[in-house]
Amino acid sequence: MITIAVNGVKRQVQASADTPLLYVLRNDLELSGPQFGCGLAQCGACSVLLNGKEVRSCITTLGSVAGKEVTTLEGLPARWAKQKGLSEADAAKTLHPVQEAWIAEQTPLCGFCQNGMMIKATELLERVTSPSVAEIKEAFTTSGPSPHLCRCGSYTAIIQAVQRAAGTMATKRSEA
Amino acid sequence: MSTSTYVFGDVFGAAFSRRGFVKAGGVLLAGFGLVGQKGSAATVDALNPARLESWIEIHEDNTILIRTGKSDFGQGTIFTAYRQIVAEELGVPFEAITTVISGDTDRTPDGGGTFDLLMHGMPNLRKAAAYVHQALLDLAAQRLGLAKDQLAVRGGVVSGVGKSVSLGDLVKGQTLNLTIPVRGDLTSMFGLTVDGNPPLKPVSEYTIVGRSFPNSATVSKVTAKETWVSDVRLPGMLHARMVHPKTLGSKLVAAGTLDKTKFPNAQVVVKGNLVGVVAPTEWEAIKATQQVAAGTRWADWKGLPGDERLFQFLKEDADWKTAPVASSRTNKGDVAAAMANSPKKLAATYQLPYLKHAPIGPTMAVADVRTDGNVYVYTHTQNPQALRSGIAKMLQTSVDHVVVRTFAGAGHYGRSNGGNAGAEDEAVILSQAVGRPVRVQWTRQDDLQWSTQSSAAISDVQLSVDANGKLSGYEIKHYMPAMQDDRLVGAVLAGLPTIPAPNEVGSLFGVANAMHDPWVYEATPAVLEQAYGTGQVGQSSSPLNVGLRDHSLRTPGQYQQNFPREVAITEAAVLAGADPLQFRIEHAREKRLIGVLEAVRENSGWETRSARPAVSNGVGRGQGVSVMFRSGTYWACVAQITVNLTSGAIKVEKITVAVDPGIVINPAQLKRQVEGGTVMGVSIALLEELHFDESGVTSSDWRSYPIATMADLPEIKVVMLHNPQVGTYGQGSEAANALAGPAIASAFFDVTGKAARRLPLKADYVKGLLKA
Repeated sequence: MITIAVNGVKRQVQASADTPLLYVLRNDLELSGPQFGCGLAQCGACSVLLNGKEVRSCITTLGSVAGKEVTTLEGLPARWAKQKGLSEADAAKTLHPVQEAWIAEQTPLCGFCQNGMMIKATELLERVTSPSVAEIKEAFTTSGPSPHLCRCGSYTAIIQAVQRAAGTMATKRSEA
Repeated sequence: MSTSTYVFGDVFGAAFSRRGFVKAGGVLLAGFGLVGQKGSAATVDALNPARLESWIEIHEDNTILIRTGKSDFGQGTIFTAYRQIVAEELGVPFEAITTVISGDTDRTPDGGGTFDLLMHGMPNLRKAAAYVHQALLDLAAQRLGLAKDQLAVRGGVVSGVGKSVSLGDLVKGQTLNLTIPVRGDLTSMFGLTVDGNPPLKPVSEYTIVGRSFPNSATVSKVTAKETWVSDVRLPGMLHARMVHPKTLGSKLVAAGTLDKTKFPNAQVVVKGNLVGVVAPTEWEAIKATQQVAAGTRWADWKGLPGDERLFQFLKEDADWKTAPVASSRTNKGDVAAAMANSPKKLAATYQLPYLKHAPIGPTMAVADVRTDGNVYVYTHTQNPQALRSGIAKMLQTSVDHVVVRTFAGAGHYGRSNGGNAGAEDEAVILSQAVGRPVRVQWTRQDDLQWSTQSSAAISDVQLSVDANGKLSGYEIKHYMPAMQDDRLVGAVLAGLPTIPAPNEVGSLFGVANAMHDPWVYEATPAVLEQAYGTGQVGQSSSPLNVGLRDHSLRTPGQYQQNFPREVAITEAAVLAGADPLQFRIEHAREKRLIGVLEAVRENSGWETRSARPAVSNGVGRGQGVSVMFRSGTYWACVAQITVNLTSGAIKVEKITVAVDPGIVINPAQLKRQVEGGTVMGVSIALLEELHFDESGVTSSDWRSYPIATMADLPEIKVVMLHNPQVGTYGQGSEAANALAGPAIASAFFDVTGKAARRLPLKADYVKGLLKA
């Protein structure tokens, strides 16, 4: 039995330490945000935040995340609520500004890659409050183990959603 | 279903009946009856006789449910345009349509593929809604004691002469059935089509079509609440991975074995040349499969030309004589005479490689073959009814015993429009073998090496330009292997029955090619367009009967024909000393085509000129244009690129696309579709090419089959031309991916004066062109 912290909750998992985190999240913890895209850390569909850094859960072993904080797409609203110090009641109603921007910009086409895109956007916006287009492109292509791939071609919509989210996060931070 | 007791009326050929009065609730159900079989439902589902198969349900609380056999593949059409079209015809608010049920073979009425979603302006749901609208008017006329023509429906309320009733109140306390006439075969590739001609709402009265409503599927996908096909878990389900043959012609010699001490719960399944491994957990299945794969022995086979010899093979070795030749209906004049009488001529060959659909998620499916003989398949397919038929054929059972349920999944751009994405049949075979539900997940490598590909093609062009600088004669001969192999590949490997391969007797499409790209330069006096077909490369010599299986991919066939035509037209313009965009306008007659060309000229910063631009610091900057007419929609595209004349590197700086679909149904969604298609087009133009050797596909991951990343993203400008007077709507989820390639190749010609007559424009190919 291995204990890991996912979305702020300690979870016990009955799987071998060499099991890729992706299968633990999807099959044992029934979290459906991260998707299997390649199993090779070449696409980003399976991304999660590990201590705030975007990693590919398909090549991250269960054993290696013990003692670290895993955040999946499901955990983004609570992560934002905690950062902003929202009450429990408000936290339950909120989405992460990245998710709100993804909806407002109608970013997903098939949507299968967008888990990784939103995770990457969250990592970027926690580091850079108002990224330029060049910085966004850098984040989604050269900053990780591989570029984040979208076969439907939603890159324009992703950039617009990141910029929208940056705007709302700046506003909401100043309100806090 | 029981027959109705009281015929309420006849609505433009649809039978309208009241099946009874009820104390609570009330509903109007718009189902279907096959033309010529009055009173009988088109199909009976033995699994669930109480199934609901209506296109449209009006409920007493004024909510409306719609059903479609189509699935969503990222177009959003069934969640946006379909709701808008139905709301428009019924006269209800968009928001009244609260539920969209799609794709499931036991819960949706019409079948057919998720292609041509708008059916040239007449999707089944539009006609179904028009019938329902008439039936509601009949009901209201009786209720209010008014004539039908005194009534109108607005905002979900029927009113006239000071009286009104809501649609919900009209159906309250009753169960009403409207049986709409249909034609076709439910489980064929094309499904059922609504028949008859109910009156349609005049376009001039539209208030919902034309507005940007959001896609109702977006929120669940963004908040991780969607049930993706990858989330389907059944009680007792086993995970599986496949051990696919070593080559596209390798028969199984001996399957590898499992070390039961290491994998106590895993199991190898072998059927013919099909090898799979199942286990209770996914990780055990993966590791056990690696062990089995390492020990499995296959016969060797070499029967492919290899990608380096592909075009030589197609030109010299392939049989183009057996299949009937397709000729364009717009052929005219005497091209040979025009060529003889014109001072300037061009003869050239254009080549396009095989491409992959390359979904971001490799194909996967869950199957449950039950002891009672019923089969449930859970998947993401563009044609669930055709898959149902294919699975029934494989198992030699009736379609009544097969249910296909569809879920959200990774878009795959046409791969499953004939039913099969790849893993479904394998899941069924494994489930049947082990007596448990089985989830088959293909790996990235499986998905690149064992799925179908978009056909390679070559085209020979001859054209002439007269003394006035006009295109005087144009001839193109297209050569493309058979495009539509919808056989279930797992069934083929297992030696189970399937539909015929394209080169076999009884194939729906056969090996013949067709003219897919309509001619649009109507001012040209002499035109000869022909299309030649052949079998799939390697298939007939493969002991497995597979070879390089081909399948339609977004803008199928037309992409392969439009690229050579549009690059050749640019070359003709340069031969004439003309500006390539103005040259196109001067050879067009259709106003909508001229309209999109003028729109891209105005919006792209196009420089009207006939000379090549200057090169500075070894980097040239140029512009190119392309056009297409597809599915009732006119398109034009301008690409502005830079070429590094030393390294051969091409950077696409800006793409401008103008689209005239007639009526623009949903501007925001159309814009996103065009942007997405454009990115795929840039990807195809610069990066994509299937690699294969003499034995099989060697592209195995995203490094060996690269696609565009955000770094490759140009500025994209979309200009939508709303033309309501056209009276109907074309569609926007295709074509955009085919426009960028010829525009970029034309821009390359503008920069360098060297014609790029094949894609992709990778640095080595470009450097070779620059040296020539």
